[in-house]
Amino acid sequence: MTKPLSRRDFLKIGGVAAGTATALGVLKNAVSAQTVTNVAASIQTTSDEKIVASTCHLCSAGCGVLVRVADGKVVKLEGNPMHPVNQGSLCPKGQAAPELLYNPDRLTSPMKRDRASGQLTPIQWDEAIQLVAQKLNDLREAGHPEQAVLMHGDTRGQMRSFLTRFMQAVGSPNVVSHESLNVAAAKLGMYLTQGVYALPAYDLENANYVLSFGANLLEAGSNPQRTISGFSYLRRGRATRGKVVVVDPRQGVHGAKADEWIPIKPGTDAALALGMANVIIRSGLVDADFVKNYCFGFDNFASGGERKGFRDFVLENYDPIRVEQMTGVPSTTIARLAGEFASNKPAVAILPGKGGLLNGGFGGVYAAMAVHALNALVGSIESEGGVMTQRYMPCVDFPKLPSDSVASKGLKTERLDGAGTKFPLGRNAYQAVADQILEGAAVEALFLYDANPVFETPGGNRFAEAFAKVPFIVSFSSFMDESAELADLILPEPTFFERWGDNHIEGLGYPGISLFQPVIEPLYDTMNTGDFFLKVAETMGGTIAKTFAWKSYEEVLQFRLKDIGADWDTLKELGVWMIPGYRFAKRGSERWIGEVVGADRLNAPRDGYFDLYSRELNCFVGKMKKDELAALGISMMGDGANLPHYEETAFAGDEAKYPFVLNVITLMSLGSRSEAANMPSLQEISGMTVRETWDSWLEMNPESARRLGLEDQDRVKVESPFGGINTKVRYVAGLRPDVVNLPFNQGHTAVGRFAKGRGVNGLEILNPASEPLTGLAAFTNTRVKVSRA
Amino acid sequence: MPKWSMVIDLDKCVACQGCSIACRFENNTPVVAPDQAKLGRAMRWNDVFPLPVNPTEETGEYPHVKAQYVPRPCMHCENPPCIKVCPVGATFIDEEGIVEQNYARCIGCRFCTVGCPYGVRYFNWYEPQWETPLAEHLNPDRVEGQGVLEGPAVRPLGVVEKCTFCIHRLKKAHAQAEAEGRDFRADEYVPACVQTCTGKARFFGDLEDPDSTVSQLALKPRSFRLLEDGGTHPKTIYLREG
Repeated sequence: MTKPLSRRDFLKIGGVAAGTATALGVLKNAVSAQTVTNVAASIQTTSDEKIVASTCHLCSAGCGVLVRVADGKVVKLEGNPMHPVNQGSLCPKGQAAPELLYNPDRLTSPMKRDRASGQLTPIQWDEAIQLVAQKLNDLREAGHPEQAVLMHGDTRGQMRSFLTRFMQAVGSPNVVSHESLNVAAAKLGMYLTQGVYALPAYDLENANYVLSFGANLLEAGSNPQRTISGFSYLRRGRATRGKVVVVDPRQGVHGAKADEWIPIKPGTDAALALGMANVIIRSGLVDADFVKNYCFGFDNFASGGERKGFRDFVLENYDPIRVEQMTGVPSTTIARLAGEFASNKPAVAILPGKGGLLNGGFGGVYAAMAVHALNALVGSIESEGGVMTQRYMPCVDFPKLPSDSVASKGLKTERLDGAGTKFPLGRNAYQAVADQILEGAAVEALFLYDANPVFETPGGNRFAEAFAKVPFIVSFSSFMDESAELADLILPEPTFFERWGDNHIEGLGYPGISLFQPVIEPLYDTMNTGDFFLKVAETMGGTIAKTFAWKSYEEVLQFRLKDIGADWDTLKELGVWMIPGYRFAKRGSERWIGEVVGADRLNAPRDGYFDLYSRELNCFVGKMKKDELAALGISMMGDGANLPHYEETAFAGDEAKYPFVLNVITLMSLGSRSEAANMPSLQEISGMTVRETWDSWLEMNPESARRLGLEDQDRVKVESPFGGINTKVRYVAGLRPDVVNLPFNQGHTAVGRFAKGRGVNGLEILNPASEPLTGLAAFTNTRVKVSRA
Repeated sequence: MPKWSMVIDLDKCVACQGCSIACRFENNTPVVAPDQAKLGRAMRWNDVFPLPVNPTEETGEYPHVKAQYVPRPCMHCENPPCIKVCPVGATFIDEEGIVEQNYARCIGCRFCTVGCPYGVRYFNWYEPQWETPLAEHLNPDRVEGQGVLEGPAVRPLGVVEKCTFCIHRLKKAHAQAEAEGRDFRADEYVPACVQTCTGKARFFGDLEDPDSTVSQLALKPRSFRLLEDGGTHPKTIYLREG
């Protein structure tokens, strides 16, 4: 009848590039292998069983899943072997996903809150649609559509463009992504050097030497399962085992699994990268072709006077002896790492998707530039085993928006979050929305999609205050999270098991689409937010109704994904479609200039030169005077300000009083999405590394703890200039003595019974500031003191 | 007759605990109450833990320290101590080398939980419970051998349970081969933890077949077994890091 999917069959799928009858047949076999009905009497299983391919939505990796549905119930998930990110694997979050679907604390119907009494009343969807349509029409009639704001989380695929388009049609430029909390620093580092505003993809499978600057490849980086797959292959999937070096104040799982752990002083990654660059240049190990012919600013150059290039700047300022003082990494180690990196090609230096780069100053972006410059020095840009540039599946363009005077006036207003104005280099300043509202910016309607800013931003209680000034707040959360608790309308979206959606596959360089589809009928009276906005558009009438004429969000997806090369039925069956095989662009070729280097530059020339000297940054800071630069926390003048360099982190809290740097870490188990904290299996395994469960803890070097008279498991008070929290201390030997760690995603005051009232939220005592040039949040520049509670 | 074995490559394992949770959803192990979990009574047949387990134990001078993480299913010993201490013969090794638990016979004395040097045996201190509607996700399969439950239907209060190498998957694969009138092949089945492994660190197969992946890996210089000198002869085999 059928046979299970063997490794050979799987390879065959890759070989025929999927989509042929063979591939479909193999997948059918793979999914029906578990569907045994004709069996001996001792085996009872369900009669009605199916396997549906979909996508997991519990972290930013977006792994493909095969969902086993038995008698209409979701009972098990497996990784989809055809999905290139997870290749059949699935992490604990994905495995526990049925606890999301069948969570006892899910919201079951739309509700309206009376602000005065806090009373919640269930309403009909029609009323919700009316209320939102009315509000938006009122704003448009008043000539201020920009006062409608949408904040969203890690929303990928067509939903992001759909929501953005809806807001544009209404007339608001205010669609604010949460990227300023995580990936924007790395994207900016990439933008200011390579000229592409995107996270780099890394060809780990072909790398010989991987140098991770706090990128947390194995737990909770920007795309954890993708980097785990690459790591696993690099280690033991091929003939030669690649070397992995982790630079991070905390060892964690990735440092423990690496060949070498470099416990660096927090916030000094730029100095280490440039110290290595110094050795690489002095040793003559640079890729001469690349730096001479495809980089801008390696040598000194003349442009309105003699300008200093990367080479001389680094040779003058980053001698390993000096870098040792800055970073705490021995100069001999720096020299050795540099030699290993430059002579074991392909070598790649990896940027974190979050964490260390968000240190409250522009120094974090310089660090990203410095780390990425290492890749340029050894010629690892757009080359096998190096950095790839993420390509996306071409989607059918939305039809042009009809001319609409109200909308075009609204779209010309400054962004509410200050991106592009107050934060000239920023594209989104999520956490700054609260400050802007508190400073008097007018927001009449606020939509929260996939967003829980009250919990997930440093000093999130500012959002609670800001929300009091916004008359109309709509939450689309599936759970009553901290932000939904303050909303006027709570319009629950079904979980990813019950709705349509998609993701662009990221991390492999080549384009791909991963589909979410309803694997069962929705359990409750919920609505896909895409469908909701379509109905709102219809109710609003006029140009907006015309612009959004689709009957359902599924139709929107069908429209957008028409030309990807797979028909809708095939995509539904496979759950994933891609154009596999990354094709490296030749240096200097048309594709190089058009897609790889310089394509996104707004001011500097799109000439295919990798900027070791950032011309784009020069457009922003080149003409600034010393005091203006100082206000941005940039100590270098002139050429130095345009070159990647080390800036000392301006820590909040005096070192004498607050001796430890607080690092809020993300766990593989709980991840960064609030609803994961309400999944009991994830709570249970959350503290594996220190044998904790259902709780928070403070990780501390045993020596440091003993000096304070603290035993393992003692209750402690952790205080920063912004507040204090109580938790227990756990000894962690693989941690710098001047750093303490608090895991994220505990300390909820809402969401549900499993999450609520458990542990503490470290973000409450973090510096709530935004970096002045980019609007990045500050996650790693807060100092704390620790004492017995 | 195959002799089932698992190989775990610690060089690829990233301690994500996907195996722990895949096992839970495949085998219907309950989430215990938080206070019970804190007592160490969480029911994860395949647990992952750090070494040293006690963080106050010194393992070197900072920065020359390295944490280790060990995923640990049942070792399915060839000479299992748990069987010897069972007063009622409730635990036994079957013809394919899987150490099984007969829940109907188990009297809950917990000798085996002490007798097992690997701590892989779990006692049901409470009636397994799921807050409504969480029980909807339970695996509906129920496999019985000679009228006795083998898995993965929920076990009752007061019995010991343990990793079965997902015996219901094995039985289903056997049944399928039979229904199709052909011989069963050893690569037709893997346990849930092997299938989900994010680092592709787990291998599963027949140790009797010298050409199987597990047999080949078992010969590697990196291979070792937990508490080898205890004479238990585990069929779960590890490969050292590095």
